[in-house]
Order: sequence, then C-alpha cells, then structure tokens
Amino acid sequence: MSAIAQNVTRRRKSRLGARLRISAGVIACFLFLFPLLWMVLTSFKEQRDIFTMPPTLFFTPTLESYVTYLQRPDIWRRLVNTVIVAVGSGVLSIVAGAMAGYALARIRLRGAGTIGLLIVLSRGVPPIALAVPMFLVARKLGLTDKHITLILAYCTFLIPYVMWLMRGFFLSLPKELEESAMIDGCSRFGAFFKIIVPISLPGLLSTMIFSMILAWEELLFALVLTNRNASTIPVAIQGIAGDTINGANWAALTAVGTITVLPVIVFAMLVQKWLVQGLADGATKG
Amino acid sequence: MSTVEIRNVRKSYGGHEVLHGVSIHIPDGEFVALVGPSGCGKSTLLRMIAGLEDISQGEIAIGERVVNDVVPRDRDIAMVFQNYALYPHMNVRQNMGFALKQRRVSRSEIEARVQNAARILGLESLLDRKPRALSGGQRQRVAMGRAIVRDPNVFLFDEPLSNLDAKLRGEMRSELKELHQRLQTTTVYVTHDQIEAMTLADRVVVMNGGNVEQEGPPLELYDRPQSLFVAAFIGSPPMNFLEGFVASGALVLDNGEQLKLPIALPAGERIVAGVRPEHFVIAAEGWPAIVSVVEPTGSETQITTRIAGHIVRVLIRGRTDVKPGETIHLSIASSHLHVFDPGSGKRREIGG
Repeated sequence: MSAIAQNVTRRRKSRLGARLRISAGVIACFLFLFPLLWMVLTSFKEQRDIFTMPPTLFFTPTLESYVTYLQRPDIWRRLVNTVIVAVGSGVLSIVAGAMAGYALARIRLRGAGTIGLLIVLSRGVPPIALAVPMFLVARKLGLTDKHITLILAYCTFLIPYVMWLMRGFFLSLPKELEESAMIDGCSRFGAFFKIIVPISLPGLLSTMIFSMILAWEELLFALVLTNRNASTIPVAIQGIAGDTINGANWAALTAVGTITVLPVIVFAMLVQKWLVQGLADGATKG
Repeated sequence: MSTVEIRNVRKSYGGHEVLHGVSIHIPDGEFVALVGPSGCGKSTLLRMIAGLEDISQGEIAIGERVVNDVVPRDRDIAMVFQNYALYPHMNVRQNMGFALKQRRVSRSEIEARVQNAARILGLESLLDRKPRALSGGQRQRVAMGRAIVRDPNVFLFDEPLSNLDAKLRGEMRSELKELHQRLQTTTVYVTHDQIEAMTLADRVVVMNGGNVEQEGPPLELYDRPQSLFVAAFIGSPPMNFLEGFVASGALVLDNGEQLKLPIALPAGERIVAGVRPEHFVIAAEGWPAIVSVVEPTGSETQITTRIAGHIVRVLIRGRTDVKPGETIHLSIASSHLHVFDPGSGKRREIGG
C-alpha cells in the first residue's frame, strides 16, 4: 500500500520535473527565436510600420524590400562570394583540421598535447588584433579583395576549431580499428582514409557545416580584407545598417538578414540529422 | 606457415623497461599461449610481433626474416583483437575480404575464400550484415574469419574470448582448438586465463613482470612448476602453500604444529610446501584439517579446511559426507608434494 503511494508521489514528482523542464525549454526557445521572428516580421513591413508603438503584429505584408534588394546585382554577387568563401574555407579547414586532429589523437609524440592546446589557445587572441596584420600581409602579397585571402583568413580560426573537435571524435574510436587495417595491408594514411574517414563521416560533415556557418556569418575579416570583388553578405548588411546618409533602412536590413539566415537554418537542420548518428557503435563490443 | 623467433627482446617506454629480455622460440605450426597477470608484458610482446610496437632491443624473426623494421602489413600475419575491431561501415563479407582487397586479390578469388571461411565458421547466412547487427559470439567469429581468409604465416590472438560470456567462451575455445588442428598455422595467443592457455596451447609461456617465468607443455607446467608464481598461477583452484621449517621428517609450521612429510628433506631448512587441492586424499591419518565449508558440484566436491589457521582447499572426486566442524586427515603421495625455496621462490628438486 505504502509502496504504491510512494510510487504515485514519485511519478507526480517526475511529472512536475518534466513540466518544469518543458517550460524552461519553451522560455529558452522563445528567447532565441524571438529576435529571428522579429527580423522576419520586420522584413515584411513598410518603413512607417516598423517603429509604431505598440508594435503592430497585424499589418499588410509587403515584399517591397525583398524585390528592391534582390534586384541589386551587388547583393547577388555578395551572396555568391559568401557561398564561395564559406564552402572553400569549410572544405579546406575540414581536410587540414581533421588530419591534424587525427595526428594529435593518435601519433605518440612528445608534447603533442601541448602543441594541440597551444593551437587552441591561439584562438584567445582577439580577431581585431589579427585583422590589421593580415591586411598588411595580404596587401604585400597583392591578395587583397580576393576569395582565397578570405578563405585562408577564416582557416586560421576554423582549422583549430575543427582540429579540436575531430581530435575528440577520433579519440573515441578504438585504435584497434586502424591497427587491424594496418595489419590487413593499409599504411597509416590508408587506414585513415579507408577506415577512419568513412566511420567519421557524420562527425566530419557536421563539423564542416558548422565551419561553413561560422565563415558564412563572419564580418570583421571580410570587412578588413575585401572591398568590392570578394566582399560577403555580412559586409553588405553592415553597409545597409551603417548608411549615414539615408539612415538605416530597417526593412531592407531585415530582408537581407532573412535571406542570409535562411541557408544557415537549412544547414543547421542537416547537422542535426548527422549528429544523431552513432555509426561507430558495433565497432567494438558495444 | 612460419616459425617465430623472439631473441632477447626488450621494450621500454621512455626509460621505463616493461620487457626485460624475452626469448621464445616458436616452431612452425605450434600453438603458443602467452599467459600472465595484467601488466606482465604479454600483450606488448604480441603487439611487437605484429609490428604495432617498436622493438627497443633484441630481434623478432618470422620465418627466416628479421622483422624489426618491417611494417605490419608486410609481416604476413593476421591478428584478432579483444574488441574484435570489425570495420563498422562494412558488412561481414567486406570485413572478411578487406585484407585480400588490399592485396589486390581478384574479386572471384576473394569471394571464394570468404565463402570458404564463412562455411568453416558457420557465417554463411550473416555475410550481408553489418557488425552492429551481430551478437558478441558472431562478431568474434567474423574477427576469426577475417584472420582465416588471409591464410597468413602467423595468427596472433589478443585475449579474443574475454568479452564473451562463460558458456560461449567455452564453445569458442573448442572451436579455436579445432580450427588450429585443421589449419596448423603457427599461433601466438595472449590470455590472462590459465584455463584457456592450458586447454588450447601446445606450449604455454608464463610471464610475470616482463620476464618469462617458465615455458613448456601445459601439463609440464602443472606437474613441475619451477617457481611459486607458476605454481600459484597454473591450476584451478590454486595450489595450497604452507611455510615452515623441516624437523625430523615433518614440516613445522610457525605455531609449532607438525605435519608429517611424505619425503625426506634435510632438517632445519625453511621451505614452502605446495600441494594441489586435487592431490589430497582424505585418509585415516595425515595432516589434521578442520573443515569449514563443503561445496558439492555433483561430479566433485570442494572442501575448505584450516590447518593451524591456514586455509587449505581440498578437491575430491565424487561426493562426501564430511561436515563443517569435523577434523579430517589429509594424506599426500610423495610425487604430489612440491617444495619451494621461500626466499627465491624457486622450485627445489627433491629425491626421486
């Protein structure tokens, strides 16, 4: 009897806990999603509706900002630039970062841990401190306002990030997998490409997509290192926001912002799908 | 097939030596078990044969060829790991064929050899499954299949059965033995389980603290352990030891109790007497022992007794009506008494 009663209270308690968790989740989601929602709403407003108090939730939506800005060739070019730079730096950083991460995870080398830590700590340097020297180097090499410059600049922070993430991933794989492959006829490289890479594909892809998102939304280096040819969409948004002659065109700002965020949301959904996978299960006794 | 020659091999990690000059000769086709407690260096030695660890000093030769500087893939060995290390993204067929594919064997030949190995191991119906869809025993079998298709010079096993439950382990043990009898491939088998070592191997190498403690055929290790360590390690339940000094044909324990010895030993010397539980005979006279626990299993009965406070285990065939609290008398044949030096732990040969 008392056992049943206890059971009921326990269940009631856990139900309360579940409710608390759900409400906390709802609040967190709201905090994160509200600015996004506000941006999307604003992008469909006319300039005069934007600053009304109280804010109008019901208004006649207009596509005016989208139509105007999507007709501007410089916006299109910047979108294309952003794609080139994000994909370029994403791919380059995953190739270099994954191999570096593998080396740190597996090669027995005195001080490997320290080297890895130093590379990660280099991320502690404020980007603005690097931006100016990078600009000077790029100018000296005649590389300003080129895609490759931005790709390389992004790799300075993407490779450590990828390296550290993938190192953890590789450490979780049993080393017997490569040892077995090496006995079966592979070199260290062969074992890496034929066994480790296919197993790590979900991790590699999700890390690459994260890298691409970071490159996609980067502003500072893009602002300093590019001008007309290679500048990216965050630079364009900054230009609209910082328009000192006409004042910020909020509808335009949010419209371009929405266009920019859209691919990121799609990417994020892809990442989620990859992250759920645990392909390495079953490699060992599991 | 091939011999394996280990000559005075040492291994150190940054100044800390874990193998202190090990030499083992493994003739062609022999099944050798390296056995010892964890940390004795047996796995390290196996990994050195495989080429997964450098050899700090000494030489390892497979066949005529010294392989110190040969990469694993060129040593023509196959290894089965404790965690099987099956490639999770490949199905059973691909797992088993991988090594052959690396060696550019033709597709039809790979298929034929995989089919053959699958038939030997009863894996035919599982060839298209991924490792994660297999049970522990099946994974184990695939790992063995991966080694068999290679038809290598040497098989290396690193505790291959320790992830299986007891019943399956027993079954796989018999299968492994049958497999070796059939293929006759030189095999080095690492285990910490002395029963596995004893039942599987032609020759057992007992290792302890980076040294070879004793090597020989399993029954020789059982009959004539050369040290206290081997005596305690080989045999289950383990050998009983009683320490004392010899006086007028008896072993005098520290509390003064005298146990008559079946053989003559020089008086005054301090010895450790060892007797296996199964070598005691309950008789009308002999060492008096107070029964504390009786554990019948049907075919045999284990009796835990105390002699002057020391626990002494007795294993008798069949059943007994001995009761806890009773005093029984244990007699031993002279050939079943092992005598060791308490200082060095070495076996003392006794007359006859």
